[in-house]
Amino acid sequence: MPKFTKELVDDLAAKLLIGLSEEENQMVLDEFAIIDEELSKVDSFPNIKNVEPMTHALDDFTFTLREDEAKDSIPIEDALRNCDKTEGREVEVPKVVGGEN
Amino acid sequence: MDKSIEELHELLKANKVTSKELIQESLQKSHEVQDKYNAFVTILDDAKETNVTDNLLSGIPFGIKDNYSTKDILSTGSSNTLKDYVPFFNATAVQKLLDAGAVPVNKTVLDEFGMGGTGTTGHTGIVKNPWDTTRMCAGSSAGSACAVAAGVYPYALGSDTGDSIRKPAAYCGIVGYKPTYGMISRYGLFPFASSLDHCGVLTRSVKDAAIVVDTMKGIDEHDMTTWDSSDIHLYESLNGNVEGKKLCYIKELCDIEAYENPTEELKSHLENFKKSLEICKEAGIIVEEVSVDKKLLDALPSVYVAISCAEATSNMSNLTGIIFGPRGEGKNVTEMMMDHRTKGFSPLIKRRFVIGSYILQKENQERYFKNAQRVRRLLVDTWKELFKSYDAVILPVGSGPAKHLDGSKDILTKDTAALEEHLQVGNFGGFPSITIPDGFINNLPVALNITGNCYDDANVLNIAYAIESKMNYKNQIAGGVSHE
Repeated sequence: MPKFTKELVDDLAAKLLIGLSEEENQMVLDEFAIIDEELSKVDSFPNIKNVEPMTHALDDFTFTLREDEAKDSIPIEDALRNCDKTEGREVEVPKVVGGEN
Repeated sequence: MDKSIEELHELLKANKVTSKELIQESLQKSHEVQDKYNAFVTILDDAKETNVTDNLLSGIPFGIKDNYSTKDILSTGSSNTLKDYVPFFNATAVQKLLDAGAVPVNKTVLDEFGMGGTGTTGHTGIVKNPWDTTRMCAGSSAGSACAVAAGVYPYALGSDTGDSIRKPAAYCGIVGYKPTYGMISRYGLFPFASSLDHCGVLTRSVKDAAIVVDTMKGIDEHDMTTWDSSDIHLYESLNGNVEGKKLCYIKELCDIEAYENPTEELKSHLENFKKSLEICKEAGIIVEEVSVDKKLLDALPSVYVAISCAEATSNMSNLTGIIFGPRGEGKNVTEMMMDHRTKGFSPLIKRRFVIGSYILQKENQERYFKNAQRVRRLLVDTWKELFKSYDAVILPVGSGPAKHLDGSKDILTKDTAALEEHLQVGNFGGFPSITIPDGFINNLPVALNITGNCYDDANVLNIAYAIESKMNYKNQIAGGVSHE
């Protein structure tokens, strides 16, 4: 497991497409140190590995799939109303294929 | 606007006041509260009156936390990444209130996307506590708590992923209720951590909370985690009859001896809580002390951060500024998204995303994410075991009254006591949970919380209703101590 370092924090942030200042990077390390310390104690809990991880608030959660019937979708104008750059029915972005990527 | 929903309804029905007059008063009060405490992202000055019907909420103004989607009304999540975002649909919970004839008059400030507990990280600035402007409202439903406490309207919507309704309610001297997970549809609520997110309400009385949630709840085809609650009638179930009901409190959280260097406020808070327990007993409730493994309680805050950060990292990957949100600068799409997210997110959000991402890395999942989920189950099982013998768990909220705004960094520190964070168990297990005010320390309100088993909302609210009626903190409006 890679050690949680300044470089790793920057690498993770870059993958998340987030830039961090030096101060923000240090805050991540400080906060994570506490989480690491606390969660490292969990391994010593009796039979912890036999506990089924709880992924949802309700254990008796059930759902049924709806019928596979086409329903109305939203008007394209609504879908695009919060987009800064559009062209007709499409979102406008810099050329990706063969562009400056 | 300092009256209860029932009182306002009776005045409306008797033509002693009109819906238009109530809305005008609420809007005027909104502007006063905005100037003093900065509680709102948007004030809806063009809000229109509605017909008064037999529905208790008709014609009465209310507030909406700004992470609920509101059709044609700015909905920012208090984030720069959505500072101009205007949804084309209403959240289901909002639509149900509109259908009942309720009138929204403002959108309230939250900690950015609900990811904070101080009311200081919203993109429009900090929210001040109406009881004392040097103190925080807590968060993330800071603006909603502030406005209800200041008497802008009888209720405002909140959301609760860790304690985001129930902690601000405590700090502002009002009632905060989140029902069982899935009782209210989350459709249209900006997601933070989907397995923990709940919709709910902040009010000045338990009865008002019951009235509002009766209207907000219900199965929704747009949220597959909702369930049929049509046989639950919260308002009608409030009878105050609690003779023989059983509550327990947890020794490890409530015993002052458990704390090495307790502050005077903590001492007063726990002493006040003991007095509240006596009031419960006088009301005919059986109250007993129980013991819970301290190791489990101590792990609680980190478990919450691990799970919520991991889920949030995934949920918020759609905030790119490409399809919606302000377009970032850059010569290609990647640079644009990087610019949008770097400038748009506050430092708090950024570090939680990074922690969430690290936890979700394949090689780290077992040690952090899975172990956190295992402890989540152990905590929930512990509470469910208590519910076999008790109607609910009663505990003090936080370690005292509202904290000072100075030094509110919202950083998880080693000093973070389980006492501050125990309400998160209510989210882990989806339990119905309500906070009610139970006294004052240094002229600031403090509160207790009652949490019961899933689907037992009516019982939990009725117990809270009975305790509330034995105290003098119902329908209180913040007096306001300005330090400017």
